[in-house]
Amino acid sequence: MKFWGIRFVSIIIAIVACLALQAFEGGRSDYEQRIIVLIGLYITLAVSLNLINGITGQFSIGHAAFYQVGAYLTGFLTVTYFAKQPIHNLGAWLILMMVVGALGAAIAGLIVGLPSLRLRGDYLAIVTLGFGEIIRIIVQNQRILGGSYGMNVAPKYKSIALVWMLAIFCIAVCRNLLKTAHGLPFLAVREDEVASSAMGVNVTRVKVTAFLLGSAFAGAAGALLAHFEGFITPTTFGMDVSFIILTMVVLGGTGSITGSVVAAALLSYLPEYLRGLKGPDGQALQIAGYNVVAWLIAVGVAVALIRWAINNYHGPKAKKYGLYVGAFLVGFVVRYVTSFGLKFIPGLAAKLIPVDQVRMLIFAVALIVIMLLRPQGIFAHHEFSWSWVRRLFTRRPVPQTAVSA
Amino acid sequence: MTIALHLVAGVEFNTLPQQLVNGVLLGAIYALIALGYTMVYGVLRLINFAHGEVYMLGAYVALFTSYFLGFRPDQYPTGSTVANLLIMLLASMVVCSLVGVAIERFAYRPMRGHSRIASLITAIGVSLLLQYGGALFLPTSPPPSISEKVNPYYGQSKTFALAKPSPALAQEAEKLRPATESAKASYQAWLSTHPDANEFELPADGKALKTTAQDTERKYQDAKHKLDTGGVNLIIQTGQAVMLIATVVLMGILTYLVLFTKAGRAMRAVAHAFDSAALMGVNVNSIVTFTFVLGSALAGAGAMMTATFLGTPLSTFYGLAPGVKAFVAAVLGGIGNIPGAVLGGLLMGLAENTVVWLGYSNYRDAIAFIVLIIVLLFKPGGLMGSSKVEKV
Amino acid sequence: MRVKTMRRIPYLNFSALAALAVLAGCGCGNNAGTTDTGTTGTTTTTGTTAGTTGTTAAKRPMPTAPGNTAGDKIILGMVASLNGDLKPWGEDCKKGGELAMEEFKKANPNGIGGKPVQLVVSDSNSAAEQGKSAAEKLISDGSLAIIGEVASGITAQIANAAFEKGIPVVAVGATRTDLTDIGANVFRVCYTDDFQGPVMAKFAYEELGKKRVGLITDQKQPYSTGLSNSFRDFFVKLGGTVVDEEFYNSKDTQFSGQLTNLKAKQPDVIFMSGYFTETGPLARQAREQGIGKDVELLGGDGWDSSEILTTGGDAILGSFFCNHYNNKETRPEVGAFLNKWKAKYHSEPGTTMGALGYDATMMTLEALKTAASLDSKALRDSIDNVENFPGVSGKITLKGMGGNPHKRALVVKLTKQGQAFAKAYEWEQVIPTSGGPSTTSTTQSQ
Repeated sequence: MKFWGIRFVSIIIAIVACLALQAFEGGRSDYEQRIIVLIGLYITLAVSLNLINGITGQFSIGHAAFYQVGAYLTGFLTVTYFAKQPIHNLGAWLILMMVVGALGAAIAGLIVGLPSLRLRGDYLAIVTLGFGEIIRIIVQNQRILGGSYGMNVAPKYKSIALVWMLAIFCIAVCRNLLKTAHGLPFLAVREDEVASSAMGVNVTRVKVTAFLLGSAFAGAAGALLAHFEGFITPTTFGMDVSFIILTMVVLGGTGSITGSVVAAALLSYLPEYLRGLKGPDGQALQIAGYNVVAWLIAVGVAVALIRWAINNYHGPKAKKYGLYVGAFLVGFVVRYVTSFGLKFIPGLAAKLIPVDQVRMLIFAVALIVIMLLRPQGIFAHHEFSWSWVRRLFTRRPVPQTAVSA
Repeated sequence: MTIALHLVAGVEFNTLPQQLVNGVLLGAIYALIALGYTMVYGVLRLINFAHGEVYMLGAYVALFTSYFLGFRPDQYPTGSTVANLLIMLLASMVVCSLVGVAIERFAYRPMRGHSRIASLITAIGVSLLLQYGGALFLPTSPPPSISEKVNPYYGQSKTFALAKPSPALAQEAEKLRPATESAKASYQAWLSTHPDANEFELPADGKALKTTAQDTERKYQDAKHKLDTGGVNLIIQTGQAVMLIATVVLMGILTYLVLFTKAGRAMRAVAHAFDSAALMGVNVNSIVTFTFVLGSALAGAGAMMTATFLGTPLSTFYGLAPGVKAFVAAVLGGIGNIPGAVLGGLLMGLAENTVVWLGYSNYRDAIAFIVLIIVLLFKPGGLMGSSKVEKV
Repeated sequence: MRVKTMRRIPYLNFSALAALAVLAGCGCGNNAGTTDTGTTGTTTTTGTTAGTTGTTAAKRPMPTAPGNTAGDKIILGMVASLNGDLKPWGEDCKKGGELAMEEFKKANPNGIGGKPVQLVVSDSNSAAEQGKSAAEKLISDGSLAIIGEVASGITAQIANAAFEKGIPVVAVGATRTDLTDIGANVFRVCYTDDFQGPVMAKFAYEELGKKRVGLITDQKQPYSTGLSNSFRDFFVKLGGTVVDEEFYNSKDTQFSGQLTNLKAKQPDVIFMSGYFTETGPLARQAREQGIGKDVELLGGDGWDSSEILTTGGDAILGSFFCNHYNNKETRPEVGAFLNKWKAKYHSEPGTTMGALGYDATMMTLEALKTAASLDSKALRDSIDNVENFPGVSGKITLKGMGGNPHKRALVVKLTKQGQAFAKAYEWEQVIPTSGGPSTTSTTQSQ
């Protein structure tokens, strides 16, 4: 009973939080709302891709395609049919659209999922990527969908609560799948397809289900995006978006839902955070060219040192952390020494670069650094749970989970 | 049948040979870049997403080398020689090799032994780093391009007539010539008496003469166009032919290196079984380095040639589209398989140009993937690849 | 073997619960929507026509939101593509804007109404949705107006976001015709494709005497597709024929397939509506493919860059394109602008966006000076009343124009020495009816 109690409380807290998010938006600007919504959507996308990639062990890198199918289906139906149908409640319409978008994307997922029965690994990856590109090009060539210019979704309906509820719903489905007997076949397929097939797992069904579920969530997210933005363009769903979603999954830890959530939040917020950085004079922050180079070198040195410590030092933990701190300090020293030296290169010294131009570079460096220092992802295969939180306070050792990545 | 006819309405069968040649020329470049992907994949089982960015850097190196040779936008030495091109080629191949090796050493080698998808993300990170980091320090605005003056084959092409147009067409065009020339002459005469006149703001009498001249000229030119397209011609741009020859030569060298040298044998051994090769005394690290040297050098060569002969302006996203296409080509041929990459590249070039020929140039980018999906459905390991079981 | 025995799907338990909650939450959202407008959960019916059908200027909806009011300093926001594909244009636009700001500060050391003015530039990464983020960030930081973007697709997103907040947008290089239909807050300093396309069509048909046109369109750029459409429609209306239309994507390098097709259709003239980055190689490969010099190449303002001569070389000489202004023009504004630019950046502007960014910023600043009060609404009204602003790219009049200045367009010829003036077209010469771009509006949908 205690077990159920905690769950109900968690879910109710989550739902209340979503509603609160919707209710108390008074002080937030459109910009902040947008970030909140995008984080919610990316969480849905990352967790649903995690279902395919992390939990079932397939290698799909074209998740934006399903996102796009949902968004354009919704956009098209809203523009064409909303005015003609009897119920003029946009909220209900949006829910209907989420279902339709999910169904449409699921059908698309089925189309991609079927070849996945024959393909493995990188071959599947390139097929999913290609599928995404094909969809984008087809949309780009449809006049009725606005072509490359984009499509105006009107009337639109913004709802933060729905976005976050979808995210929580998606997390709940994946989490319960992972923790119940029905998830075991998925994990078995990930660990060893042949062996699981020999043990009586219907591999075909598992793979197709994973693709169906994952793409359906992405489609629903697309429906929400179409209505939140009110304007969708094919470039919103390009290959780069697929890669970002994939990155979120791997960065958080393949197979870890908690990791996907955290990484999705981090990666969708980081570029926006960097955009807002201000220098001491209140103007947008500017970085001298030589400082950028110096930082890159310093980060490289620090990462190399930390990696060395991870791999070669097996003493007490406290000393190991001391080594990490030392590596950081060395990094700082390197940064100042090199920037002092680089100042004398005239081309670099005169060049002032606004932070807006460096932010994608910082994003890339962050990606590489995290992967180099923690290749298994931030959370590896661990999950957030209340018992984990409790243990955190009672300081008992965390046991390894049964399933390893 | 009617639908099929409708779909290909307006297709000119006269241009089919030309389109096939175009396809081969295009495919050769895809093949050249695809070789880099496929070799790295064969050895490390890693999709080297930064390969396209190595290609981009190769184009920039070629640009800077051409500046160094004196072909800056403001100072053009007259004429160029093949030697200049070779220097540029060598420079970009060398620099690209170094960049490729550095990427392998600092980004991929630490990830060895971890999950392959983690290496893939690192590769994406490196690719972003080079794209956006390069944009800070490389010239991008306005997008620079290699001067056409450095290209000794600029604007040259060779025409082979496969079938001659009917002589009636030639006579027809010839018939129109005198009228054209006289109308032109009278307009020129009028212009010479009105030296201040702007060609596009003429008084009525001049305008009338100009219109007559243009009308007759247009009829003449239309007849000439008809004559031109009446036969079946094969036009090969000299620059692109040079590209094709260079590609074939480079591939020949590569084949020699892989098949007939000690390092090549070691490379094949590593590709076949990474750990066993190490146990048998192959220095795996140096072989991987060697692979990156070869692959990146080919990318550099491809970049130098496209940038010089096709004249596209550079940006730090220069390698994105060719990189993806070449990757598709590599998978199409069976990733990890060297002849497969060449076959895949050629097939993709042909497929793209066939689609264009059918009048669907707006789906040119999609066809690569469509062909890929169809092929993989029937041959899950690519055209020449083995479909042995593997796991991510 | 529990897997086999559990027939029902347990992992949907909580899902079902969550679904219920979703429904409940939606009902809540609706209530908020019907009672409290202007917050999230509201229905918005703005900009219904943009992107699908063209409309006349009279339909521009007026934004209802109050917009921003200046605090102790006046912030003007600019969205520019500082990263990504459009970086060359975005960077020039930013440089132009900063140049204008610097000059304005020099001329008005006390700012406007005693408050200092500041230009904040934010990056759109050449992507529409990031452009929207940038615009919303600028608006939330108190920006009175948004200047930018250079590309139509991104501007549409910005304009939609700004409309909801009542913030005026001054687009820099977005020539797409239906942009200004999004709302009465959208203005631009450039002409529209509905003017540019017909200008080139008229020039080709009447001055060059060409009757058969082949089109090459960059289908990835909304700018290019829009321009091709308006050119095609007007050319057909004049009596010409369109023999073929071929497509490519930005960043393609080899076009021989499309050019072979085009050549087989025997055009007299070829219209290339894309940017100069692909036009140069296109021209070069067209000549190599045997398309003779008698077939002129024509283009729009996307051609404008000194670099087109390097990429196209001899192949592009003798081609014509439509431009906003010409570096060699004798108007004093042009010379002064070029001198200032060279003094600050030690080079000539790489693309035409330098001048347009300068004009957009300067015009907004001047409008701010004459605005009734220092807030977005007054600024919008003031911009809407701009008359005969002496921009580098020509005189700009927005009064009664529905956001689209009726500027003149120059047709220039590419020669070895650069651009040579060929012919200037006034708006009235090309668009005969008074009601604006009526000829092509119905087919402006791609």
